[in-house]
Formats: sequence, C-alpha cells, structure tokens
Amino acid sequence: MRLRFPVCPLPPEAERLRAEVREFVAAELAAGLWKPGGDFSSHYDADFSRRLAARGWIGMTWPRRYGGAERSMLERFVVTEELLAAGAPVAAHWIADRQSGPLLLRYGTEAQRAEFLPAIARGEIFFSIGMSEPDAGSDLAAVRTRAARVAGGWSLTGRKVWTTFAHRNHYAIVLARTGDAQGDRHAGLSQFIVDLRAPGVEVRPIVNMAGAHEFNEVVFDRVFVPESRLVGEPGAGWAQVTSELAFERSGPERYLSSLRLAEAALACAGERPSARLREALGRMAAGLLALRAMSLAIAAQLAAGEMPNLEAALVKDLGNAFEREAVAVFRALASELSPPSAEFLAALAETTLYAPSWTLRGGTREILRGLIARGLGLR
Amino acid sequence: MTAPVFAPDPLVADAAERAFADLARSYYAQSAALRTEAREALLAAVERLGFSDALPAPDGRKSWAQAAPILRAQARAAAPIDMAWLLATGDRQGAIAYDPERYDARGGPLPEREESRLALALGRLQQIGAALESALELTLGYVRDRRQFGRALAQFQAIQHSLALGAEDVAATNAAADWALACAATEGLASARLPYLLDCAALVAGRAIERVRDVCHQAHGAIGFTREYALARYSLDLLRWRDSLFALRGGELACAERLGDRALVAKSLWRALTAAMNSGGTEG
Ligand SMILES: Cc1cc2nc3c(=O)[nH]c(=O)nc-3n(C[C@H](O)[C@H](O)[C@H](O)COP(=O)(O)OP(=O)(O)OC[C@H]3O[C@@H](n4cnc5c(N)ncnc54)[C@H](O)[C@@H]3O)c2cc1C
Repeated sequence: MRLRFPVCPLPPEAERLRAEVREFVAAELAAGLWKPGGDFSSHYDADFSRRLAARGWIGMTWPRRYGGAERSMLERFVVTEELLAAGAPVAAHWIADRQSGPLLLRYGTEAQRAEFLPAIARGEIFFSIGMSEPDAGSDLAAVRTRAARVAGGWSLTGRKVWTTFAHRNHYAIVLARTGDAQGDRHAGLSQFIVDLRAPGVEVRPIVNMAGAHEFNEVVFDRVFVPESRLVGEPGAGWAQVTSELAFERSGPERYLSSLRLAEAALACAGERPSARLREALGRMAAGLLALRAMSLAIAAQLAAGEMPNLEAALVKDLGNAFEREAVAVFRALASELSPPSAEFLAALAETTLYAPSWTLRGGTREILRGLIARGLGLR
Repeated sequence: MTAPVFAPDPLVADAAERAFADLARSYYAQSAALRTEAREALLAAVERLGFSDALPAPDGRKSWAQAAPILRAQARAAAPIDMAWLLATGDRQGAIAYDPERYDARGGPLPEREESRLALALGRLQQIGAALESALELTLGYVRDRRQFGRALAQFQAIQHSLALGAEDVAATNAAADWALACAATEGLASARLPYLLDCAALVAGRAIERVRDVCHQAHGAIGFTREYALARYSLDLLRWRDSLFALRGGELACAERLGDRALVAKSLWRALTAAMNSGGTEG
C-alpha cells in the first residue's frame, strides 16, 4: 500500500515569491480593482488575468520559448494558493493555466504550442473543458459527440454540458468519438481544440442554483475543425484525458473553497473570541496543514514527471469533504461573532450555495472513492 | 525541486522490521506467566541490535530520521515494548512497563523534561501513523478473503468506499506527522515552529483514529472484536497512543485552541499556517 506523501517543504525562492504575490494582491485590493469572493471557477475577470500574466504568473512553469517563465512547479503552487486564499478573480485563465496548457505542452504539435501557449501566458486566450455530456457524466467514456473526417480536418457534431465559461472563453478542449469503441470503450476517443466562436457552435446559458451564469450547454452542428487542431494521436484521447487528472484534482483549489469564510469569522471575532471559535479555527488549521502537505507532495511528483492519479483523487475527496464541513462549522458559530460582518455573511451565503458543486466538479466523490479503492486493490 | 528533507535509512528500517516482527511473535506465543520475562528479553534484544543508538538527543537531528522507521516497525508488529518512550526518555523500565493488554484512558506517564515530551509526541505520531496503516492493510486483506452473499466483501461498493475514506485519513495522518518530524529533524526540538506542527498533526491523528478504527472494525465484523485477532492489538495501541499524545499536548481542545489563537494573533489563519510550514523564515 503506497500511502505516504513525502515531506516537500517549499524552497526559499518559492517563499520569496509568496511575499511578491501578497504585495501584488494588496496593491490590487488597495486600488479597488476587485473584491475578494468566489473561487477558481466562479470569480472571472479577464483584465485581472492579463495583469497577472504581465507579472509572468500564468504558464509560469513552461519553457521560455512558449512564453513561460521556467519557474518550478512549487513556485506555481505558491502563486495559485496565494491567489485562492485572497479570493482573487482567477477563473478566466485557470483552466488554460492548470490543464489545457500542460496538455498541449505534453501532447500538442509544435505549431499548436507556438500558437496557443504564448497567448495563454499573456492572458489573452482562455480555455474551457469540453468533456461532460447529457449522457456522459461520471461515465465519461460514454461521450457521443462525434468527429468525422472531412477534407482538411474533422466535422464535429454533438452536445456538451456544464461547460464552465464557454460563453466567455475562446476555446474548449473537446473530447469526442472519432472511431469505434470495438469492445474497448476507451478506444476511439480524441481531443480537439475547438474555437468556441466557430460557425456551427452554439453556446446556451445554464443558470446555476446560486443564480449565476457560469456553465453552459454547447451544441456543435457540423463544426469544421482543421486537422491542425487535433491534439495528440487520434484515438488516444482517453489516455490524454487521464493525464490531466492529477493536475486537475490535486491543487489547492480542492481544499481552499471555504478558507475565506474562516478568515471572515476570524476578522469579526471581537475582543474575546469564544473558546468554540478558537477551537474551530484550530481544527481548520490542522485539516488545512495535512491537505497542504499532501498537495505539495503531489506538486513535487508532478514536477518529477510522475502521474500520481491515486494520490490526487485522495486529496480531492478529502479536501472537498473538509471544505464542505467548514461551512457547517462556521455557520453554527455565527452567533459567537461580534457581530457577523457583511463579509462573513456574504462568504457564508456564497459557500453555502456553492458547496453542493464542490463534490461534483472535477470528478464526483463516489468516482474518486472508486478510484482510491482500485488503488487499494479492492477492484 | 527540493529533495525530501526526511529520508530514513533503509537498512535501519529493514532491520527494525524483521527484529520486531520476530520478537512480537515470540512474545505473543508465550503464556501470560512468561510474558514479563519475554519482554525483558525483547528489550535486551532491541538493545543488542543497537537501536538505542538512534536515541534522538534533543540536538541530534539526524537521528530522528533513524528513529522513525524503528517506531513504525514496532507499531506494525504490535511489539509489546514502548519504543517511543525508550527513544524519547532513555528510560528502559518505562519502556517495559507497557502492557499491550491493558487500556486505561489517562494517557500514561508524562516525561518530566519538555524536550522529552516533544520527542515522545513525535514518536507517538509515528507509531499512530504506522498502526493506522497496519490496521487498514489488515482490513484490506480481510475483505478480499471473507465472502458473504456469494462474493468477497471487497466487491461491495459500500465496503470499497468506506476503506477509501480510511485510506484518506491514514494518508493525512502520516503527511502531518512527517512534517512535524522533518521539522524536528532539521531544526531540532527547540524549533519555534514545532509546537504548531505537532498540534496540527495531533488533531489530524486524533480524528483519523476515530474514523479508521470505525472503518476497520466495521468491515471485520465480530472477528475484529476478539482479543486474539491482530486488529485488537492495533486498535488498543491506537487508543493508548492517542491518549498519550493528547496528554503530552495538554489535551485535544488545548491543541485546537492554541492553533486558533495563533491564527487570531496573526490576524489570518492562512498567514499563521504558511508561516509555520515555512522552514526558511523568509516569508514577507
Ligand atoms: C460547477 C460545475 C462545473 C462544471 N464544469 C464542467 C466543465 O467546465 N466541463 C465539463 O466537461 N464538465 C463540467 N462539470 C461536470 C462534472 O464533471 C460532472 O458533473 C461530473 O463528472 C458528474 O457527472 P454528472 O453531473 O452527469 O453526474 P452523474 O454521473 O449522473 O452522477 C450522479 C450521481 O451518481 C453517482 N454515480 C455515478 N456513477 C456511479 C458509480 N459507478 N458508482 C456510484 N455512484 C455513481 C455520482 O457520484 C453522483 O453522485 C461541472 C460540474 C459542476 C457541478
């Protein structure tokens, strides 16, 4: 059983970078450019993303020739966790920086890397994930969106749902069937870079329970996708999608969604914070420490070229349960605050409304536990 | 990428593993009357093997890396000798006084020196991490073998998911425990960050013990509730070490409140946490 997450302390240069990020955030807040709120998949501000890019903090681990800064995975870790802790509006560039870019770096053609990576790193183009469909959620291999060969490329037809920010982003990486499954459901799938403004693409809003328009239904009707937009090998889509998972599941966004609520409670704790509040803050710190230690260990493994999918599933499931529990804990403590501030109430409303989505997005709790069980040799 | 700061010597780990497994087997094979003698013999053997060289003197930082595999091997074998006590205090008699079959909830004696208390708490965390791992491994094996309703228990999704949760708690406990140990290994027991890391690790471990014991006993059914079966030994060790750990830290609530106070003083939970996890002290 391999369950140990080696200790991976942050090197001094990463801690120095933390100070820079904090200064940057403080200056942004002082200038009133945004208010803390939301999370990595709801707080969208393209201008913020461009300012971040100007600091070299998007695509920062990528090679310089693709617009990156060749900084370490641990330095990227620090930038992302500081931005999340601050409630910064990171949603525009988040997916491109976290997984579309790394996917292209790994499987893309030279031309694709040259075209997309520098533009992502400049904060000019943003990506969505086009995986889920009405009949393919957890069972992703059931996707029915199909790409058929035509002269010069592919013709894409089908329907994606829950496509976050498809109405504002420029491209989606779409998983589609290009060949028969032939007994292996994971065969015959391919990934494409699809221009979300191309003829034949229709993006329809779906308003979420919190009243926000974030995700969408995206319909493709014989959309022409040039050959140059196929990612990797035709038919290798499943393996490629799988390679994104550790990036998608192991980061600080999987356990920091309710940190702001705790910080807001702390800020209105009053002169004599109650023992219950002190206890709750302490327990939250402990859970956070363990998750952060684990997430750092994964960042180091990813940096070493490993694919710690089991470990990532573990961090996401544990992290989602942790951030969910914190909402209940701090709601119960509202009466101990003196009095609850507007920030606290806003954070409470937001986390309460969004909490059901945390254990769904990026792989549901049940699917993650199934993966872990497989890793433990039970299936 | 930085190398892990905490890399135990595989030779020590291996020797400890084999020694404790043998010694524990012989101990549990003895009749009750012979057990005190057996424990003496066990301790003598442990000393002969030279493990006491690994005794982590407060500033003998490197030896922490050696102590961890010894403690873990002892916990995995459920060997009836309190290695954590021995390593933290050098007290041979106290290490033997350990009775694997008796449980009382007072948390056992506390060493007098603060350094020894910190060392013992670090040791307890390693023992707990290893015992949790062993209990879970035992359970994984059991559910693959045991059949009901015509299939192995492992094939029921409810069982799979509950063991997955167990694995999460085991991993979290070890991750937090290792951060505390690595801090002591590099900075010594006087490190200003150590109490924060220890309190966090203790809370994570305390919660994990509650949940992993539940998962393991539940999946075992009645057999796990018998004295002969190995789960009982891990389960009792976990209870005892949890009490000891929290006694050493002044109680579970005290751990939590201290951490909460650190956040309040720093005016940010996040800042307190990132500062305590920063070994370089360069944070702005
Ligand atoms: C806020 C949000 C944003 C999202 N953004 C995107 C996006 O940008 N792009 C994208 O492609 N997708 C996105 N998704 C979709 C997300 O990936 C899916 O919701 C998820 O994969 C689950 O699929 P589903 O919703 O169809 O649920 P289903 O798969 O129908 O599952 C329903 C329930 O059944 C359980 N279940 C399913 N199979 C099993 C099984 N084998 N054993 C036990 N239980 C099972 C599930 O765990 C779940 O609890 C987003 C979702 C949310 C909530």
